Amino acid sequence: MTIESITVAATKKTNMALVRVVLDAIYKASGALAAFTLLVMLIIIIMQMASRWLGVQFPGSNDYASYCMAASSFFALGYTLNHNAHIRVSLVLNFTSGLLRRLLDIWCLSIASLLAGYLTYYTIRNVHLSHLINDISQGQDATPLWIPQSAVMIGSAIFTLALVDKLLQAIFIAGSSDSIEAKQEELK
Amino acid sequence: MDHLTLTGIFILVLFFLLGSGVWIGLALLGAAYVGMELFTTRPVGDAMFTAIWSASSSWSLTALPLFIWMGEILFRTKLSEDMFKGLAPWLSGLPGGLLHTNVVGCTVFAAVSGSSAATLTTVGKMSIPELRRRGYPDYMVLGTLVGASTLGLMIPPSLTLIVYGVTINESISKLFMAGVLPGLVLASLFMGYIVVWSFVKPDEVPEKEPAMSFKEKVYNSRFLLPVIVLITLVIGTIYTGLATATESATFGVVGALSLALIQGSLSFKTFTDSLLGATRTSCMIALILAGAAFLALAMGFTALPTTLAQYIASLELSPLTLIFALMLFYIVIGMFLDGISSVVLTMAVVEPMIRQAGIDLIWFGIFIVVVVEMAQITPPIGFNLFVMQGMTKKPIGYIAKTAFPMFLLMVVMVLILVMLPELATYLPDNMQTTPS
Repeated sequence: MTIESITVAATKKTNMALVRVVLDAIYKASGALAAFTLLVMLIIIIMQMASRWLGVQFPGSNDYASYCMAASSFFALGYTLNHNAHIRVSLVLNFTSGLLRRLLDIWCLSIASLLAGYLTYYTIRNVHLSHLINDISQGQDATPLWIPQSAVMIGSAIFTLALVDKLLQAIFIAGSSDSIEAKQEELK
Repeated sequence: MDHLTLTGIFILVLFFLLGSGVWIGLALLGAAYVGMELFTTRPVGDAMFTAIWSASSSWSLTALPLFIWMGEILFRTKLSEDMFKGLAPWLSGLPGGLLHTNVVGCTVFAAVSGSSAATLTTVGKMSIPELRRRGYPDYMVLGTLVGASTLGLMIPPSLTLIVYGVTINESISKLFMAGVLPGLVLASLFMGYIVVWSFVKPDEVPEKEPAMSFKEKVYNSRFLLPVIVLITLVIGTIYTGLATATESATFGVVGALSLALIQGSLSFKTFTDSLLGATRTSCMIALILAGAAFLALAMGFTALPTTLAQYIASLELSPLTLIFALMLFYIVIGMFLDGISSVVLTMAVVEPMIRQAGIDLIWFGIFIVVVVEMAQITPPIGFNLFVMQGMTKKPIGYIAKTAFPMFLLMVVMVLILVMLPELATYLPDNMQTTPS
């Protein structure tokens, strides 16, 4: 091996490490954003109650809280996946091991990536359409719907990214599939 | 291909995706996609987006993350310690002694927690070591705790009832109230079992605690004050119509945070940990609900729910037979799925059936919670068993065996519910209506 090829390999490795760091940062940031959105939802509901007692109007508060709910759920998808907190039927998974287990994981991740990708594609299309025709919420809030729907779009995209990420790891790095650990975080 | 074959393919795809281990929400999404492609010429992707958007941005759903968050905060406080200290003096005199702290502890904590796993971990954190130290036999300590933890989903707030209410469009406040009396009856059944055990096996009951004077007991009850305040905030505001389910959850979160602050257990870390934990659990449930919403749409096109409802009606079963058939059905489903998934997955099909048979949907919500919870304490898949295994490192089989008497008591509970439906319907019929 020449010195040159070693340097190339080393750069490749650092590049890969960089990709890893960036991806993990994205998942973490989207999780933090989801948690923040939940906090905003709580504050909106508190303000709604306070305004009712004070006899002040807070039009559309229900709608704003509902948008926060949707945004939080979708922002958190990828982050939740990385914490193994999405539940699945692990009966068959638990009874397989070795190559069979790996193949089963690749199957699950492929299907999941396809579905999440499909959802992301149609979400982008609909948000775009919603923006074009300027679709306005029917409620008192009269929010242009593309704004809250964008959160669903971004969340689905990050979810797809996280699934493809795990799929590639399962295919190319043997025994790295930590997602497979059926350590299901119970419903707390 | 004829309609029947297509329906068969649709159902097979659903079971295959679920069984092979695809994450439940996505498996429902995938099956729904196949169903839509088979039965309609509609643009599937756009219908998918619309169904998912309206299911995810639902106002009733906002109570869900808040109640989860409340449980996450309380788990990180000294509440379980305090509850044990406050309850033990009153319960040690009963036949069966401190084992009753498991049941009463779960009942009390269930009134501020929405899930049975949270109830199990919070109560067990304190009661398991304390009861073991005093020499209570392991099988009674673990069995009564696993059994009583199911009260977490019966007594309001309850995540399963929120999900049920959102799925069939019923008032969550009413469902919550419906769970109160059946929950208390079930708790008394568990306590009765402990009493009977203490008379059948008196040699296994450890020696009595040194008795406290009445004054001391009352003084010790000060430890119960925080939890009583929280219960009043959460259940009281719903029953009196002062708050909707979401608003009472907000009271709960603020109350739990204040409690943690007063106790000194609130730090930036516990705050973010609890919030992130709630975010994950709520996201997990939201994904299942999103998948289920699209699946329900696809189910509608297969005409499976109406066909099945008509078929069941043509059999002219008595409601009683139908209820027992459904009980068996849910126990089998519960062997593979968790409670919330079993509810959302089946309601699209079961709801028309229930309406056809003239069964009250509020009552059915309580029934489904008991039955689904029964499945959670039986192998092979029982979430409460897994949680218990995580806490005690005992094998699943052993824990399941200790919980089996509780399972039988829950069957008795179903019988009581069938014979006395007013148990579930009395409070919802007599509560104040909530503000719009």
